[in-house]
Amino acid sequence: MLTGSKTTFKVRQMVPDMKERMLSHSGVNARGRDMFGLRCLPGECVLQRAVLVRKKLTAKEGGGWLSGTLFCTHFRVAFVPQDSPKADDNADPVLLGDHDVALASIEKVVAVGPSRTKLVTASSSLKFTPEELVLYCRDLRVLCFLFDRLTPDTQAVEITYTIAKTYQPLKPGAVLSFQNAALGSVEMKQFLSNRRRDAHMNWFDSLSDWEQELERTGACGWRVSSVNDRFEMSTSLPKFNVVPQKVLDTELKKTFAHFNEGRIPRWCWRHPRGSDLLRMASFQSNIYHEKDDIRNLELILFGGQSLCVVVELGEEMPSPTDIQLAHTRLRALCLGDISTSVSVPDDKWLSTLESTHWLDYTRCCLRKAVEVACLLRGGHLTVVLQEAEDRDMTCVVSSLVQVMCDPHCRTRTGFQGLVQKEWVMAGHRFLSRINYHRDSDKEEAPVFLLFLDCVWQLWVQYPSRFQLTGDFLLALQDSFHLPLFSSFLANCHRERCKRSQNLSQSYTPVNGWRDVPPRGSIPDPSDPPLPPVWDWALQYSSQRRERFTQPVPPPALPQPLLNGNLNTNPDAHRLSDSTPGSVFLLSRGSFSCSANLLPWRSGGGSGVYRKSHRRGGSSSENLPGLERLLKAWALTELPQGHTTTTAGLQGPLDPYEPLLPLLLGPCVGVWRDCYLRGALHAQAFSHPISSSTQHPVEQLAWEVQQIRDQIALASSPTNTAPAKRQEPRRTDSNLNQNTNNSTFLFPASRPPGPVVSRTTPPTSNLQPRVPPPSSAPLSRPGHRDSSKHTFLFGHPSSSEARPDQRYFPAPNNNAKLPKSNGSSLSS
Amino acid sequence: MTAPHVTLGDVLLPESGAKQTDKFRTENSSLWSQSVEEVLLCRVMASASIPAYNSSNNPLENSSSHNASRESLKMEPLADVTLLPGEERIIDKDIIYICPFSGALKGKVFITNYRLYFKSADADPAVTLDVPLGAIGRVEKMGGASSRGENSYGLDITCKDMRNLRFALKQEGHSRRDIFDILFRYAFPLSHGLLLFAYLSQEKFEENGWSIYKPVEEFRRQGLPNDKWRITFINANYELCDTYPTILVVPFKATEEDLRKVSTFRSRGRIPVLSWIHRENQAVICRCSQPLVGMSGKRNKDDERYLDLIREANGTAKLTIYDARPSVNAVANKATGGGYEGEDAYQNAELVFLDIHNIHVMRESLKKLKDIVYPNVEESHWLSSLESTHWLEHIKLVISGAIQVADKISGGNSVMVHCSDGWDRTAQLTSLAMLMLDSHYRTLRGFQVLLEKEWISFGHKFANRIGHGDKNHADQDRSPIFVQFIDCVWQMTKQFPTAFEFNERLLVTILDHLFSCRFGTFLYNCESARDTNELRSKTVSLWSLVNSDASSYQNPFYTPESNRVLYPVASMRHLELWVTYYIRWNPRIRQQQQSPVEQRYIELLALRDEYLKKLEELQLSDSSPNSSHLSNSSTPNAASPTQHITHLHTPF
Repeated sequence: MLTGSKTTFKVRQMVPDMKERMLSHSGVNARGRDMFGLRCLPGECVLQRAVLVRKKLTAKEGGGWLSGTLFCTHFRVAFVPQDSPKADDNADPVLLGDHDVALASIEKVVAVGPSRTKLVTASSSLKFTPEELVLYCRDLRVLCFLFDRLTPDTQAVEITYTIAKTYQPLKPGAVLSFQNAALGSVEMKQFLSNRRRDAHMNWFDSLSDWEQELERTGACGWRVSSVNDRFEMSTSLPKFNVVPQKVLDTELKKTFAHFNEGRIPRWCWRHPRGSDLLRMASFQSNIYHEKDDIRNLELILFGGQSLCVVVELGEEMPSPTDIQLAHTRLRALCLGDISTSVSVPDDKWLSTLESTHWLDYTRCCLRKAVEVACLLRGGHLTVVLQEAEDRDMTCVVSSLVQVMCDPHCRTRTGFQGLVQKEWVMAGHRFLSRINYHRDSDKEEAPVFLLFLDCVWQLWVQYPSRFQLTGDFLLALQDSFHLPLFSSFLANCHRERCKRSQNLSQSYTPVNGWRDVPPRGSIPDPSDPPLPPVWDWALQYSSQRRERFTQPVPPPALPQPLLNGNLNTNPDAHRLSDSTPGSVFLLSRGSFSCSANLLPWRSGGGSGVYRKSHRRGGSSSENLPGLERLLKAWALTELPQGHTTTTAGLQGPLDPYEPLLPLLLGPCVGVWRDCYLRGALHAQAFSHPISSSTQHPVEQLAWEVQQIRDQIALASSPTNTAPAKRQEPRRTDSNLNQNTNNSTFLFPASRPPGPVVSRTTPPTSNLQPRVPPPSSAPLSRPGHRDSSKHTFLFGHPSSSEARPDQRYFPAPNNNAKLPKSNGSSLSS
Repeated sequence: MTAPHVTLGDVLLPESGAKQTDKFRTENSSLWSQSVEEVLLCRVMASASIPAYNSSNNPLENSSSHNASRESLKMEPLADVTLLPGEERIIDKDIIYICPFSGALKGKVFITNYRLYFKSADADPAVTLDVPLGAIGRVEKMGGASSRGENSYGLDITCKDMRNLRFALKQEGHSRRDIFDILFRYAFPLSHGLLLFAYLSQEKFEENGWSIYKPVEEFRRQGLPNDKWRITFINANYELCDTYPTILVVPFKATEEDLRKVSTFRSRGRIPVLSWIHRENQAVICRCSQPLVGMSGKRNKDDERYLDLIREANGTAKLTIYDARPSVNAVANKATGGGYEGEDAYQNAELVFLDIHNIHVMRESLKKLKDIVYPNVEESHWLSSLESTHWLEHIKLVISGAIQVADKISGGNSVMVHCSDGWDRTAQLTSLAMLMLDSHYRTLRGFQVLLEKEWISFGHKFANRIGHGDKNHADQDRSPIFVQFIDCVWQMTKQFPTAFEFNERLLVTILDHLFSCRFGTFLYNCESARDTNELRSKTVSLWSLVNSDASSYQNPFYTPESNRVLYPVASMRHLELWVTYYIRWNPRIRQQQQSPVEQRYIELLALRDEYLKKLEELQLSDSSPNSSHLSNSSTPNAASPTQHITHLHTPF
């Protein structure tokens, strides 16, 4: 029953009753069961355990030590705190508890003895009883377990051995057995296949998904083509691609040959001001340009706009090799590794950090994205991102542009859709870049992590413009290192489709599902079914998932745009003098219109089309207009930071103002929550917040709620009284339905509040801090109550029962505040 | 980029001559010719200088002007700035401000006895500068009669708050001489026999900040005196030590005679006295100056016995003496009669050197930092440039020293801290350790007490370190020790965002008024000098300003938690440059902004006030006909919202 794992594991010792457990394995509905207090996944076996272990808690967890029992199964290292509540047997299985780590995430096992430390591998032998066990993880976590004097020595030794022997340094084949250990059981397979995927996000895997996106962005003149339905045109492009309406599928088919890997220019996104973002691979050289092809090629590039800017991402951007090298250095620098005892002296930290170039690369990506965002703001042009393969930097830049410009992409679900669109479906080669199988060392490059870091930089500078949080980005970062998710385990749409086809075939047998392959056999490569990474409930408890979004309402999302109707752009006229059909290349911050930018325009052979343009390549009078657009960055940087504070008091901020990050040295920093959380010395952090107190915001919201209720109470019997008494009641209903009437709530000139009010929070720590989480008045049934709560907390769906939610201010909250009314616009 | 303040002025040091001026000109043109882009940048920037309630410090305005706007009643307008009560206008003149971010701006400069105020004429929106004269460290003339080139003839002003200002003037008609003389006179009043502005100010506040710190009360809060420690008035007339306060806490068993004898063996008579006592384990932090060991390795039985009394008071096995200096420096001090506690002489003590460098090193370090952040932030190799200033490294050493002190105390072990004179590094270490140990000092008022006690009353030489009203900018006694301390506090607030009742704005305000000379708080070196100059009766305390408007300085996320020792991480990996202070003049650096949660909190506060008022109105109007509905609650204005809550029955 230990699917496939027997071949790779040499388990020194098994817990005695494992056999018995394995025999009693047939219950289909028993999703999980307790093993010595550990709630196992179906099919999961405890290989070893150690009692009276203490886990070192990180700063975020509150610091200090937690006592409990340590387990090693063939899927994870689990830690169950002493008095953790009994899990509900009927709840859905969660792959990893809050204190667990998957074996596949472990990179190194280090045992610390009385006088020495030792890196423990599958073949090493321990000559001492470990007092401390340190697990270094790929996602940069470091878990530290302390054995008690009362922990039986054999347990301490055995669990160390067991972990060392089963954690499997990544190698070909190891991933599969790990996946089987986690998801391979009959029950898990059934469970996973019954799982509904998140309907709130766009998955971009059907025609209607793309149409929905066209509609959302208000793009017109574009259509979804399914010409690549069978991946015959391009193996790495998705089934569905967005192209100009004017180009018919038959014409479109001929264009694929002109591009590397057939990755033709495709529409990605429309800026609210009416310009379009496209991406493509490099041009195929040595191909004859038919006259008709040329027409179609140009139609695709221009997409109905009069101007086209090609942004070449090859030379200025870091190559995958650069990224890999930088990330390796950053890891080595950040992960204080006691087993190697090579660490960078603290006083050289800054310069060493600089020499990793990681921050330079984030800055570089952000800068490029800013340039593109500024161009798009000009309206009436297409910006085409071009990269040789169109599978790395185009993903980074196109998605960063959208995060900067499209508020939708700063919500959790919007961001997930963005990653689906620009990474998963667009064919970023996750599998090769992550190199889970250790078979593509030369390809390995965490391009996606670089992107996440860039998003984090934006988030730190503009936390209030994001609905998603740093916790969400961190969870995505961690999941990236876990070889369990279909999102990351393929290089393109086609591979995923092939896999799921195989899978569905293998699910056809009469009895509903296949038997688990017999012990020792080579498992079917398509086994087991893999969930998408977005199924967060598989990995995170609901409390932790709640921290993926801000506890305050996100800025209101604007209505979908029709036909780019925000086109009231004052800058538009600047480009009006441009010659229709001009193509410019943006490179190193300046524009050029070299003749051979588009291969078919250069040389005599394709001159036919060129003639149709009055001044094919010499329209340099357009340049100033474009350069002005770029310069606009420097200008907008400031109004962003400053007018908003005042604008916020007067009126809402233009939600389409792009978030342009500051890129000066002091403004781009290391993602400490991610890269430094493993460094053991950093764990000296202790946060003076105990989990029993409410967050001050929730506390205050609760108080306000109370007073509101009081007003309602006081005013209810006095209906007949004149205006003054009725006003509060009107307020009351207003608050629920029409909360954007914020001028009523917050007079524009309102100061932060008189002294009287401010003294309350600190002094009222006795009673108000204890108020029952979602306490008496709030737990009243009925949706009326919940909508009020929604107003206060701004959480449309999950307003009730959030007692445990804690939100700490971001460590680097030096980002800007668009004191917008958005926060109260959540209705 | 460092040219402006390195070049010597032709008046202060006339012998520096024409060569310097020439060099100046060339650097000038390259440095100050600005791109159009930047001009626009700064104008746009300036347009946004309307302070919202959250803008703790605006790059183009000194925060004191915010404060000024709040005490608006008795002020008379000067252009668009309101004068403080007691502030007088001296001169105004057409001038060109050479803004490093937006190029030359024509406008008018106003000089009062408190500030230099500039407003541009043609830029729209106007660029303004509001600089307290106290923040000016140095005024120089740049360019001479032979200077050519645009705007090469004028004034160069170096400020103590991390910026330099340049003004260009017309060469005709002595206009520069007038303005230079006036600036020189009013920026450095003490060098010209004038009074500091704090003595001219007529400001009135609701609160009297001078009453914030009462030594006996503070000691009583700590549980003193007790059977081991007594309060002594031996220094009532500053006879024992002229740089100590009058009220001291010493071991109960030490007689006044003992104290006198010990004072002869401690540099400047700064004997070991108690600073703080741990309520539970009775471990104490004592502070003092170095022992006068000298080259010959002198011993003093009284001093040795006195230290043993400190040790015995709570049964500490070995008194830990933290010498803040690097050991090399401590040894070198022997040559000038100082030194450190030798092992043989002090057998029940262990000596630990904390390797913190002296005031000169700190001054140079901050100077280097200024070079890389003003006017332009070093673009390439920012991190290694930052590293080469060593500023964060010094911060780290100070914090980690304080952590060691706090840790020893938590372990029940009494400690004694000294450096050379016990008024710079010692004050940093003791006050930071106390901040870690005692949550009272993390409140808005507690922090004021801490500063009054450890820094002001124990004689940190503010006058010498800052050089209030003194023209001698090259004085070797100047050093940003207090700035460094506030930076350490800021680092702690970053690492423990909920542990401090005050916010960043308080820290910036403190630093602004450290220089401004508007308040008496940071004037003079020690209590005896303050008494002589009748500081407390003739000037206003900074805490009057702060406590009259406490809500602006409060951290919404403060969660009071007593008895928790905070140990910050003193690692370069977790220390940050205080960008919003050191680089605040750069319009490209965004100011401290609220997180959405903070924003929400403030909105809710406003909402609560709104409702409370409404409720009050309601209940007043209700009270006559049918007050029965509110039978549970007492009068609304007397009851706090909390009380309401507990009695409330919901109507739904």
